[in-house]
Amino acid sequence: MYSSQYDGGAFVSSQSPDSSVAKTRGNRSTTIPLTVKQITDAYESSSQKSELIVDGVDVGNIVLVGMVCNKASRATDATFTLDDGTGRMDFIRWVNDAADSSETAIIENGMYVSIVGSFKGFNERKRATAFAIRPIKDHNQIVLHFIQPIRMHLENTKSKVGSLSQTQQSFVNESSFSSGYKEPQTPVSNYASVNSKAQGSETDIYKLVLDVLQEPSSLASEHGIHVDEVVQRLGLPAKKVKEAIDYHVDVGHIYSTIDDFHFKSALGD
Amino acid sequence: MDTSSPTVFVNGELLKLYMGRRVRTVVQVIRNEGGAVVGQSTDNQQLTVKGPDQSVPVMHFMEVIGVADGPQSIRAEICTDFGSNFDTASYNGLCKLANGQFKNLFL
Repeated sequence: MYSSQYDGGAFVSSQSPDSSVAKTRGNRSTTIPLTVKQITDAYESSSQKSELIVDGVDVGNIVLVGMVCNKASRATDATFTLDDGTGRMDFIRWVNDAADSSETAIIENGMYVSIVGSFKGFNERKRATAFAIRPIKDHNQIVLHFIQPIRMHLENTKSKVGSLSQTQQSFVNESSFSSGYKEPQTPVSNYASVNSKAQGSETDIYKLVLDVLQEPSSLASEHGIHVDEVVQRLGLPAKKVKEAIDYHVDVGHIYSTIDDFHFKSALGD
Repeated sequence: MDTSSPTVFVNGELLKLYMGRRVRTVVQVIRNEGGAVVGQSTDNQQLTVKGPDQSVPVMHFMEVIGVADGPQSIRAEICTDFGSNFDTASYNGLCKLANGQFKNLFL
């Protein structure tokens, strides 16, 4: 059951390439890995408190991974708080039979667990319902869990940054989950072909700056590359290079690292 | 729901950006020195973990949740044994993503 939840199709509302049609309202059969921060932001910004819509996707069930605290067990239910590092959320797990009670009995405070649950009824009762709680045995699962909302966010917002669509296929290599991960490799040649529209010298400068940031030497460095170094390498006016960098930060291609002058490509590692 | 005190995913490099804040990281235990554990971060820096939980065996990976009290030091509140089979490259990548482009999903 676990593996089916982590299949690529389980948490993306549709495999259709036309994502603007795919992520329509009303698809309540989704089970989506999220962080508590994402849920909180979606809940607080929505006018309809009974529904949860994250990145435009209607959320049916949720998967969270975190540490259990404040566990309280009763005959008919178990309540606890899950702390996933981004926030804390209260859950209740109803106990109907022996299988349920043995599932909740092994859960202890301080333990990492994976929860599949529903957000329905949160508005009234201020807690979510857990359907299944499983202890985490392989801690690589924690890393995988947090990568998944990142991937989902990237896919669901890809219409805003059109040329990122090429990178999603290689962003997470899910098939190698159990035996260690391969470093996701951005297909730089694909990206270049998508981005090579002849729209004048401004696009060329943007592309040149991004190319420098995507070189293996820049990607290998923890800090990325300094703005001045990009200017020096390209021999272009510093103002133009800075404009290009600002653009790339805005659309999410690059981000600043140790200070406001070091940047690193978000697509390359 | 309470997102008031998140724990930031950090590696050795990012630790210095969050001094005084609650952070989480995974290190590989190299040695125990009195009341502290010296571990190697996922980006190959040596970090010192001070705290009560010293029960993680050497060469195992240990998740540390605590407060960053130095550029290479954490005052631990919770330490969890992550075993001997942990992918540091993925964790390192996650730290960069969670503090970079996708910070809004975490903090």
